[in-house]
Amino acid sequence: MLDTIFIGLSVGSVLLLVALGLAITYGAMGVINMAHGEMVMLGAYTTVLASIHLGIGLLGAIPIAFMVTALVGYAIERLIVSRLYGRLLDTLLATWGVAILLQQAVRLSLGLAFFGITIAGLGTGLQNVRVPAYLSGVISIGGEQVSLYRAFIILVTILLTLLTWFIMYRTAIGAQVRAIMRNPDMAAACGIDVKRVNALTFAYGSGLAGVAGVMMSGFKTVFPDMGTPMVVDGFLVVVTGGVGSLMGTVLSAGLLGQINGLTASVSNDIIARAVIFAVVVTIIIWKPSGLFSYKGR
Amino acid sequence: MLKLDKVNSFYGRSHALHDLSLSIPKGQITAIVGRNGTGKTTLLKTIMGLTVKSTGAIDLDGTDLSAQPTFRRARAGIAYVPQGRQIIPDFTVRENILMGGFASTSGRQVPALVGALFPYLTENMERPGGLLSGGQQQQLAIARALAANPQILLLDEPTEGIQPNIVEDIQNIIIRLNRDEGLSIVLVEQNVAFARRAGHHFAMLEKGRAVAAGPIDSLTDELIHQHIAV
Repeated sequence: MLDTIFIGLSVGSVLLLVALGLAITYGAMGVINMAHGEMVMLGAYTTVLASIHLGIGLLGAIPIAFMVTALVGYAIERLIVSRLYGRLLDTLLATWGVAILLQQAVRLSLGLAFFGITIAGLGTGLQNVRVPAYLSGVISIGGEQVSLYRAFIILVTILLTLLTWFIMYRTAIGAQVRAIMRNPDMAAACGIDVKRVNALTFAYGSGLAGVAGVMMSGFKTVFPDMGTPMVVDGFLVVVTGGVGSLMGTVLSAGLLGQINGLTASVSNDIIARAVIFAVVVTIIIWKPSGLFSYKGR
Repeated sequence: MLKLDKVNSFYGRSHALHDLSLSIPKGQITAIVGRNGTGKTTLLKTIMGLTVKSTGAIDLDGTDLSAQPTFRRARAGIAYVPQGRQIIPDFTVRENILMGGFASTSGRQVPALVGALFPYLTENMERPGGLLSGGQQQQLAIARALAANPQILLLDEPTEGIQPNIVEDIQNIIIRLNRDEGLSIVLVEQNVAFARRAGHHFAMLEKGRAVAAGPIDSLTDELIHQHIAV
């Protein structure tokens, strides 16, 4: 039983890392970033490449993946998204295009495939990441055996969630992000550089998704369109939790992760997926603005 | 001195201000009067850079702000107290005030002046802004603007929708901010009596154009009858 709960928690953890970034960017900027799942993919590929070319293990890949995906996120925001604010459908299409572009870039070894050059670790094939020995195996908690790697995922997620909370609620930049979430015009009139803060927020959210990709690479196969279902899952979490609520995102990721884990343990992944959709649809009908939505005056 | 020269401002396709030229003298109160929908609020938003598009020059002490984004105008010393106050309901009183401090060049803090003017706010620093009454929220919006340590205060109908016993308080505070603190104030006001009592100058808007302007003495009953009274 404990092992099942652990599986649920670790699934929820990856979901949370993906959803936190979406919650912040969607909450602060009203932008639906369809390329967010590709940040997960890039994070996973960074792990693969770091292992093949630099000999860096999964643990060392975490900060590298964060930096890489944060930089890509920053570039996407500055080059594309920042020009499309207030045009929801246009950003949706544009970021979808970016998502396809990134997938193809990986498939074609960043375009070098046209010249007959391939980069080991990229390309159309499947990639695997070896979990280091000190993270594999099982540990025993209260007499029950749980996977060490899953415990590690949960720990990393807890640390990153605490870090995000700290940034959002205890720093000046976090106060700026929250002010922009509530009232962007008033935030600007109070001297907040909305464009700069938005770009940084986007970069941070992308970086979190990149770390989620590192975590995923340890228990799932890595391939170019692995990110596509992640963006859907991420949005399920954000919508269920309530837009603009960090706490809502955390709890809803935990809830959906547990439902997924428990259902999958008694039946299979396909049924689990159906149950998740049923639960989310019910919650949205019952509470259209999510479980923990921010209440305006 | 804040000078607007041939300013045009737009919301999407609607042309809200037409070739508006206006001087806001330093250290004085300039009252902007006119009927509803004549562009008074748009004028303040245009000064802040919050309309969709505007043309013309907006000059603050020799620097043209018209191409600057909103946050730079705020940091140049223009603070905005909008209509409906627009405080953040789930921020505490302190967080709301400190939000204004992002425009301050001398650090983010609750100014001492706030304590002197608004004892209620200093006693309720940790209360969520959304729980305050309309009048208290208006005080909070002014306190937030003061945290920017501004030279010019843009006030949009500061006494609208506020319980009558607080209206006079707020009016006196506005006069005090100008007289004692030397703040230049642009006051959008429907209440002509208060505009006359507080203002040194006025500008009358109609259909997005300035139809009269000058020292407050020249805001005659006749002008008001012609442009405001129905």
